[in-house]
Amino acid sequence: MRRGTFVRWGVPIAAAAVIAGAMGAGPVIAAVSGDPVLPERTAQQLLADAAAATKDKAGPPPMSGTVQQTASLGLPALPDMGGASPLSLLSGSHEVKVWYGAGDKLRVAMPTQFDESNLIVNGDQIWYWDSGDNTATKIKMAKGAEKPHALPTPGPADVTPQQVAAKLLANADEHTAIRVTNNAQVAGRAAYQLVLAPKDEGSLVQEVRLALDGETYMPLQVQVFAKGSAEPAFQVGFTQVTFTPPAEENFSFTPPAGAKVKEETIGAGGDAEHAEQQAESAKEARKDTKVVGAGWTRVAVLPATLADLTAKPAETPSDGKPGSHWKGGSEGADPSALVQNVLKTATPVSGTWGSGKLIKTKLVTALLTDDGRLLVGAVTPEEITKAAGTK
Amino acid sequence: MTVVTHEAGAPFGAAPPSGDSAIVTQGLTKRFPGGQVAVDALDLTVPRGSVFGFLGPNGSGKTTTIRMLLGLVAPTAGEYSVLGLPLADALPRVGALVEGPAFYPYLSGEANLYRFDAADPTAPGGTAKKRVAEALERVGLSAAAGKRFRNYSLGMRQRLAIAAALLGPRELLILDEPTNGLDPQGTREVRALVKEIAADGTTVFVSSHLLTEVEQMCTHAAIMRAGNLVAQGTIASLNGGLTTRVRVETPDVADAARVLGTLGLADVRMPDGGAAAVTADLGAHAPEDINAALVREGVAVRGLAVVRPSLEDVFVGLTGEGFDVDG
Amino acid sequence: MSTAETQERRTPGLVPVAETMRTAERRPSSESGQSEPAGPPVRLASAFWRLLGSELGLTFRRPRNQVMLAVVACVPVLIGIALRIASADEAVGGLIGSVAGNSLMLTFASFSFLVLLLMPIAVSVVGGDSIAGEAGAGTLRYLLAAPAGRTRLLVVKYLNAVVFAYATTVVVALSALVTGLVLFPVGPVTLLSGSTISVAEGLLRILVTVGYVGAGMAALAAVAVALSTFTEVSIGAIAATMILVIVTQVLRAIPQLEAITPYLLPSWWTKFDAVLRSPVDFGSLGQGLLVFGAYILLFGSIAWARFSGKDITS
Repeated sequence: MRRGTFVRWGVPIAAAAVIAGAMGAGPVIAAVSGDPVLPERTAQQLLADAAAATKDKAGPPPMSGTVQQTASLGLPALPDMGGASPLSLLSGSHEVKVWYGAGDKLRVAMPTQFDESNLIVNGDQIWYWDSGDNTATKIKMAKGAEKPHALPTPGPADVTPQQVAAKLLANADEHTAIRVTNNAQVAGRAAYQLVLAPKDEGSLVQEVRLALDGETYMPLQVQVFAKGSAEPAFQVGFTQVTFTPPAEENFSFTPPAGAKVKEETIGAGGDAEHAEQQAESAKEARKDTKVVGAGWTRVAVLPATLADLTAKPAETPSDGKPGSHWKGGSEGADPSALVQNVLKTATPVSGTWGSGKLIKTKLVTALLTDDGRLLVGAVTPEEITKAAGTK
Repeated sequence: MTVVTHEAGAPFGAAPPSGDSAIVTQGLTKRFPGGQVAVDALDLTVPRGSVFGFLGPNGSGKTTTIRMLLGLVAPTAGEYSVLGLPLADALPRVGALVEGPAFYPYLSGEANLYRFDAADPTAPGGTAKKRVAEALERVGLSAAAGKRFRNYSLGMRQRLAIAAALLGPRELLILDEPTNGLDPQGTREVRALVKEIAADGTTVFVSSHLLTEVEQMCTHAAIMRAGNLVAQGTIASLNGGLTTRVRVETPDVADAARVLGTLGLADVRMPDGGAAAVTADLGAHAPEDINAALVREGVAVRGLAVVRPSLEDVFVGLTGEGFDVDG
Repeated sequence: MSTAETQERRTPGLVPVAETMRTAERRPSSESGQSEPAGPPVRLASAFWRLLGSELGLTFRRPRNQVMLAVVACVPVLIGIALRIASADEAVGGLIGSVAGNSLMLTFASFSFLVLLLMPIAVSVVGGDSIAGEAGAGTLRYLLAAPAGRTRLLVVKYLNAVVFAYATTVVVALSALVTGLVLFPVGPVTLLSGSTISVAEGLLRILVTVGYVGAGMAALAAVAVALSTFTEVSIGAIAATMILVIVTQVLRAIPQLEAITPYLLPSWWTKFDAVLRSPVDFGSLGQGLLVFGAYILLFGSIAWARFSGKDITS
């Protein structure tokens, strides 16, 4: 009887083991089969190859895939932001689907529960579709305006691995130790991994890993590891990718019957006032912003007071999606609420430089001084207070 | 008389042949989680064709034994055999009533029988209608077949449970307290039914806490007390250990004792406490001769009775305890 | 290990204890020589369908279950009427808003409401009642003495719950479809992705949704049946399943616990919205089905381990 009991309960235990095995099988198979499939490369060779691969052609090869972005910056709990808010990218995990055809055909879809927003670029035809408010927006680029990423939705397009990778590669300089591994697996593909480690002790960043597809050299994944943490604090990469041209219907969009159709022009014209305002304030901000330090320990110093930060903006950003009734209201999308939330966790600090409030996350430290400066950098608190001392 | 004694861990002897036994158990033991021993090393042999009374006060382990025989409860130790077959093959030939009737209250009596017939993998669905009708007929429920079970009286419920036990051709019928809660009329009906079934050659295993019931219905009996088997055998052999006595009620106790002694009756006893009665072993004497002799000697006979030994006497004789009818 | 082999080495007729629980399961009688026909496999198979038929009859004739199906069927009608009245109000957007423009969308909108609570409740009641209900009524001991066979009875009980889960799903779809056709215009369906599909394709996608949502409910039924084997009070098993559903819904809403949401059943129930995308996100549907399969495997085996060794003392 007792033996029988053990045998019987062995069955669900075995079932649990099989399930756990199946869930872990992906990484396990990758680890087993993922040993050097790719010829070895030095960092320089790799970067050169990558540069060559991207320069020769008009852009990355046609592909489609799923990009997942995960952030665990150690920020206090962020309220549910609603699908497309850029603030929502600061915590949790988000998924976008990308279809990329030859040349200027691109579709980025951000599926959320029972909703979906789409950005469809087909030549000079640019549509933004939001099922939440049943609105199709035709976007026109004013002549001489900048590239599409100045769109009203700074969401998905900004977080593709290509863009992040480009930014990181620009930063690679004498402050960084670079090495290459050739046995990474991303989205089931063999990939090189470029590992950038800051040499400076004062940086909160342990290393940045950039995975490049072994065949196309397309960046597949970017991971940022904070010091003392085995899990990446920030990660964006493909979870699934195929390098075959996607079906044409992905890039053709006709506003469905019954949808509201809007038109917006970016860069000039109708929305000019708003845009100008933004540009002006941005310019102003840039003027007031100083950078202290160099390399990975750069700290940005900008003028700000507690009152400025917590003041409710006159207008809720349009991409806050207040209309999404599935999410139960838009309160969470209010950035000032977020700031207040974050400030609750701040610790008061003081020193020869004065006094202020310090907010430390895994990757970023911010210091709001009582004399009206905001210092932000991916550095240790010691480093930031040092920066506060340099006026 | 077979009085089975138990020794913990005693090795099994040669197993009794199961060919002529409907139920055989050896060292059957059930210890519930929590340590309570419900059945302790039970060695039971139920001959085929017998009406076997399984007697014991409530809580003596009768129901637990039946549950083990039906595969509902796993024994902690020991072995058992039903009809000499693997349990799954034996159970379709066993009709059972365990701890009272249990049916779906929102179904009719008939629908309830279809339900339990469907659960038996050996019951042919094609003949279900006929068999259900026959079973209802046999317990006299044909008229109430379409009535919902919740509207059945206690007696009807009990009879429906017996009908469910009679759905197929059965070699063994296990009836746990079949007359529980029945009025005298219902009790008589059940007894008649059991006799009828037994007459067809079906072995009937009846558990009861009523001595009289077992004495009236059964050919064999086993007596349980606190999870232990106290005795088992034919009713005659169980009674055989005790003799039939004669009891004379009289104010002239001493005279009566003397007369009985001269008649040659053995074990003449004058009860303690000065009760006005004398008892003695009847032996081969005719009661009317004793009466005549007493009258002849001028003893004032108020009453004369022949006292046959009952199972209660057997029980008291074996355990030194009274049989607590109500548990 | 066959029964016949082991039996020969033992005292004839005596069933060792270790064997009894296993042999209480039905097996073809060819193994046990001395037994008279327990029936050829064909007969056993037909006996299985007979028991399942009996079980289904019990479930669908039971007034309580009929009421639950009726309530579930009413919700799409209520949603439809409410949306019809509110359709003048242009402010409604999203999936709900699209119902006003297309009759088929009411089906998806109804599922999006019902899949989170009302359908799980209906499935919990039938699944939670399955074993515990019989145990509480005492009928379990008669079924097993019949002998229904423990594994066989458990499989029949689970299949019955699965059929009920699909019945609930189909009832919602049909009710919503009929209500939608009566109240709203028929025409090409606009997907969440902004593209349109034909009515026929829309119906096909409703069919896929029914298949997927039904599987999700079947996974919940496995949990309910497993809980049902642990108690003799059916309301306990039912309540435990419902509490589990509600707790997982709450866990899903806590942002800090986002890491565990992919392991929770309700997270996958709503993923039927994959059929409303262009192209259909079969990857998401497939993953959902794998999760449901994992739940069925795990909780099915727990139910079996518990029930096959349980002492029936009720």
